[in-house]
Amino acid sequence: MKTGKKVAVLAAAAAVALSLAGCSNGGGGGAAEESGSGDGDITIALVSKGFQHQFWQAVKQGAEQRAEELGVTVTFDGPAAETEIDGQLQMLQAAIDKKPDAIGFAALDPEACIPLYESAESAGIPIVEFDAGCSSEYGQSIAKTDSMGAGALAADHMAELIGGKGEVAIVGHSQINSTGVERRDGFIEQMEAEYPDIEIVDTQYGDGDHLKSADIAKTMIQAHPDLKGIYGTNEGSAIGVVNAVGELGLEPGELTVVGFDSGKAQIDAITNGIMAGAITQNPIGIGEEVVQAAYDIINGETPEEVIDTGYYWFDKDNMDDEEIAAVLYE
Amino acid sequence: MNATPVTEQSTRPGVTPPEKQGTALSFLRAKLQQSLAFGTLIVLVIFFSIASNNFFSWSNISSILLATAVIGILALGTTFVIITGGIDLSIGTGMTLAAVMTGIFLVNMELPLIVGVLGGLATGALMGLINGLNIAVLKLPPFIATLAMMMIAQGLALVISGVRPIYFSGVEGFKTIALGTLIPGLPNAVLILFLLAIVAYLLLSKTIFGRYTFAIGSNEEATRLSGVNTRKWLITVYTVAGLFTGFAGVVIAARLDSAQPQIGVGYELQAIAAVIIGGTSLLGGRGSIMGTVIGALIMSVLINGLRIMSIQTEWQNVVVGVVILIAVFTDTLRQRRSIT
Amino acid sequence: MSTQLLKVSGISKSFPGVQALQDVQFELNRGEVLTLVGENGAGKSSLMKILSGIYAKDAGSIVFEGTEVDIDSPKTAQELGISIIHQEMNLMPHLSVAQNIYIGREPRTAGFVNERRLNRQTTELLKRLGITLNPRQTVGELTVAKQQMVEIAKALSFDAKVLIMDEPTSALTDSETETLFALIAALKQNGTGIIYISHRMEELRRIADRVTVLRDGRYIGSLDKGEIDIPTVIEMMVGRHIEEGARPEAREHADDDVVLKVEGLGTRYLLRDINFELRRGEILGFAGLMGAGRTEVARAIIGADPSEGGTIHVQGKKVRIGQPADAVAHGIGYLSEDRKQLGLLLERDVNTNILLASLKDYTGPLGFMRTGKGKQKSKGYVESLRIKTPSINSVTKNLSGGNQQKVVIAKWLARDCDILIFDEPTRGIDVGAKEEIYRLLNELVAQGKSIIMISSELPEVLRLSHRIVVMAGGRITGILDNEDASQAKIMDYATNVADEKE
Repeated sequence: MKTGKKVAVLAAAAAVALSLAGCSNGGGGGAAEESGSGDGDITIALVSKGFQHQFWQAVKQGAEQRAEELGVTVTFDGPAAETEIDGQLQMLQAAIDKKPDAIGFAALDPEACIPLYESAESAGIPIVEFDAGCSSEYGQSIAKTDSMGAGALAADHMAELIGGKGEVAIVGHSQINSTGVERRDGFIEQMEAEYPDIEIVDTQYGDGDHLKSADIAKTMIQAHPDLKGIYGTNEGSAIGVVNAVGELGLEPGELTVVGFDSGKAQIDAITNGIMAGAITQNPIGIGEEVVQAAYDIINGETPEEVIDTGYYWFDKDNMDDEEIAAVLYE
Repeated sequence: MNATPVTEQSTRPGVTPPEKQGTALSFLRAKLQQSLAFGTLIVLVIFFSIASNNFFSWSNISSILLATAVIGILALGTTFVIITGGIDLSIGTGMTLAAVMTGIFLVNMELPLIVGVLGGLATGALMGLINGLNIAVLKLPPFIATLAMMMIAQGLALVISGVRPIYFSGVEGFKTIALGTLIPGLPNAVLILFLLAIVAYLLLSKTIFGRYTFAIGSNEEATRLSGVNTRKWLITVYTVAGLFTGFAGVVIAARLDSAQPQIGVGYELQAIAAVIIGGTSLLGGRGSIMGTVIGALIMSVLINGLRIMSIQTEWQNVVVGVVILIAVFTDTLRQRRSIT
Repeated sequence: MSTQLLKVSGISKSFPGVQALQDVQFELNRGEVLTLVGENGAGKSSLMKILSGIYAKDAGSIVFEGTEVDIDSPKTAQELGISIIHQEMNLMPHLSVAQNIYIGREPRTAGFVNERRLNRQTTELLKRLGITLNPRQTVGELTVAKQQMVEIAKALSFDAKVLIMDEPTSALTDSETETLFALIAALKQNGTGIIYISHRMEELRRIADRVTVLRDGRYIGSLDKGEIDIPTVIEMMVGRHIEEGARPEAREHADDDVVLKVEGLGTRYLLRDINFELRRGEILGFAGLMGAGRTEVARAIIGADPSEGGTIHVQGKKVRIGQPADAVAHGIGYLSEDRKQLGLLLERDVNTNILLASLKDYTGPLGFMRTGKGKQKSKGYVESLRIKTPSINSVTKNLSGGNQQKVVIAKWLARDCDILIFDEPTRGIDVGAKEEIYRLLNELVAQGKSIIMISSELPEVLRLSHRIVVMAGGRITGILDNEDASQAKIMDYATNVADEKE
């Protein structure tokens, strides 16, 4: 019965969407960004985990690019900090109230969002997800990085760089949200499974704050004189480790730093050898795919349930490769 | 049937505090909170030195001092505000805005280093001035006025930076403001913290500005009736706090070699915590710069030590919270004793 | 003649809804003490605030040393040489004596406050004034009386030509009052004009060169030294005749029920072995010197301070009182001497204050207030206690001291308290309103309530109390029937152990 209802809703949504799309074409196919009068445009509301981080800015960029190609309007909203679960839910509620054609959502908390998914369902608004999903079954597709796999890839490179044995530590950015947890766990599990001679001596969290992460990394280096490497699970954490290395005056390579995400500072650190390399996701791709998935649903098609947007190891050697350069952002 | 002697002799039984004789005792009591804080600091250092071999080394101490710099500078400025009985919640994001503006001046506008730094300081002072005007002239409660400023600064930092970090890599010498070593082995950020602490100490203890800061916190109306322009001085207090915020902004930008527009929220609470641990009363009228410096050091020694011992991040917060409770509790205990 | 220092005429001032002053006048000569009297709300404080630049006058002229002046701020007043000692404490408790006295006028060297010179200056000033205080001591640690001396020293440090003192002796001991009077005499010698506001008629007789009386914001008249006669002054103040020296009717109390019985009560630092009984329909007065422990007894009984040992029986039953809420549950209400701080929510309306202790009675099962019923009750008390207020919705702050006291009484009556402990029930209340309170206390006991009345004013104790408990050094030194009591006798008991104690 549930499925039947879902189909009916989808069909209705698609019908509406098609007629609206027709209108907009008739209007001369102007740029979707300029939705002054608005009627006739398809609107997709994206509620992200944040917007201050470079990562989310890149997602936004990808979403806007694809929206322009498809001739739809996207709105992009997100709380000021990735701890503001409640604020994010309010934004989701506001998005539902505005009755867009579809919603794209990246959940800060997988449980808290369930009731709102139900109200979106009864309002007939389809939801697609990106980066991190909600535990509700109503979410119809998710575009994200396989964070466990990405963490494992970081572990492989760390192990290779330090020669398969020694002490390493993790500067995490969150012990709560799924990317933070999975990037950490993917790393730890891979180490335990494949590299018995490597010991993870400490894991601490700096909330992605550069300053806090730097102070944490410095204490780690202090506490563990034999430390071979530190893994930073996001941009802020990784740059914190880089700053710590700089402040302690360590020679490049004395401590192996593996990072996550890109951004100018990480790219610089890799160029000058302080950071060995980093895992990059494809945030632009995430943005593009989530908009595409929403668009597909509106048009009655069924996108894949999980769209893996991919992750890559990048270092000094492959940074300028076309494939890598395309997913890096400053 | 004339005079009634009892009438005039017996006054206010009960509530009259028994008089404390001599200055020595009162001096001691004034120093109690400070010496308690100082004692706590020493005990912490000894404890962590025993608990971990890696704690007591010059390079770790230098790390602790550097980690104290930003919060410490914020705490210095906010000590003045708290002594007046006010509060400044805008110092965290205000610091971020000052950092971003420094970036705009130095990177986008390519102004000379000194001009850009002064611009960053001025940004902080300007925010403080606006806080002061809102509080002293428009009579907004400090909590509300600075809460609003906290949000405004956060928003402006994001808007002005275009939600992107500003990197100072092209600005010659900027990073040395925080990480250079005029004194070998000691990062300049620490030097700045100590110099500012000395300035703050002189301001608070030796100038009429400091005197009126205490007076306003002790009894604002009485101060006003004494012919002191309390409005002007209150504005000055918040402006000074803003100026220190500006210093913190420049220092954090120099240390990270970039202005990160998304950080800053929560720094104000850490700074306020440092001030309170240092024995400054949230009710106003009482406090010291020495106490604030010690309070900030206690916070960073505690966090550093717990990290060195690989205590989980979650538990670190619990411990810091408990320390704040103990600090405030000893303070109220002291207050209670001085009343009865 | 050039002896005239200040001439004030035609002063009017109104606040929203109130005409505080209307066409008020007075004169002050050099080397003269002008005593300004009037009931609370007569306009004395408003007048003084106009003179010291805190309020702006609506109309009238102030001629100072022959020229008309415009006093627009406290600073202007200070510069002219008009200083005021406020009735409420206006000190910074966290600052030292010297820092308080010279606030706003700190000696400076190269931008820094010269603390040493500040302290030396203060030492000199205090020496000149004959006040023994340590300039470096923190004011908050001083007794109220010494704080008052700091205020006086501060006002005098301006080399004031006109010095306004608003009830300066209300917190001073005898010897401190003597010091103050000696100071006033010295200041008169120097040609300072003093405006002295007081409720104490003895003081008026002692130091006044002239008395000016205000009533309801209007000038009633002035009396020169030779004409000053207390009954006349009081009549001018209240507009009717007041009887003095009255005593309560002797009553046979031995048969009445004991409503409160205290045995062996003590506290850690002060009280020792307190025993007494309170009977139904009785006013039991508590007399004693400052620090004798009268307020402490009240606070220990109601559980505001921890007691050590002792038992309390209420209506014959032994009770345990650990906190004020327990006392209230047993029908004991305590009316603090400090109404403003401890007895009232000054910013709230009369209705809220009256119902505060008995809100539960006006609350429905779901926690909603039955406002109608409560208001009815409040109105009833406003009428029966003759509380002068525009309505029960008026803010309590705006009521006079006497009427505020009545609001506190109404609060406890609404709570069905049978035992009421009044701590200094008429402190800060003017003569006319005192009579009202006295009448009210008598009415209450006539209705079967029982009252403990702590008072520092012996005539008041003698006038109202059926029996009088005298305390000294934390002990009860005597319990007298009114018929046997006299001021001299009470003093005897009150000084009984004072010698060994201090």
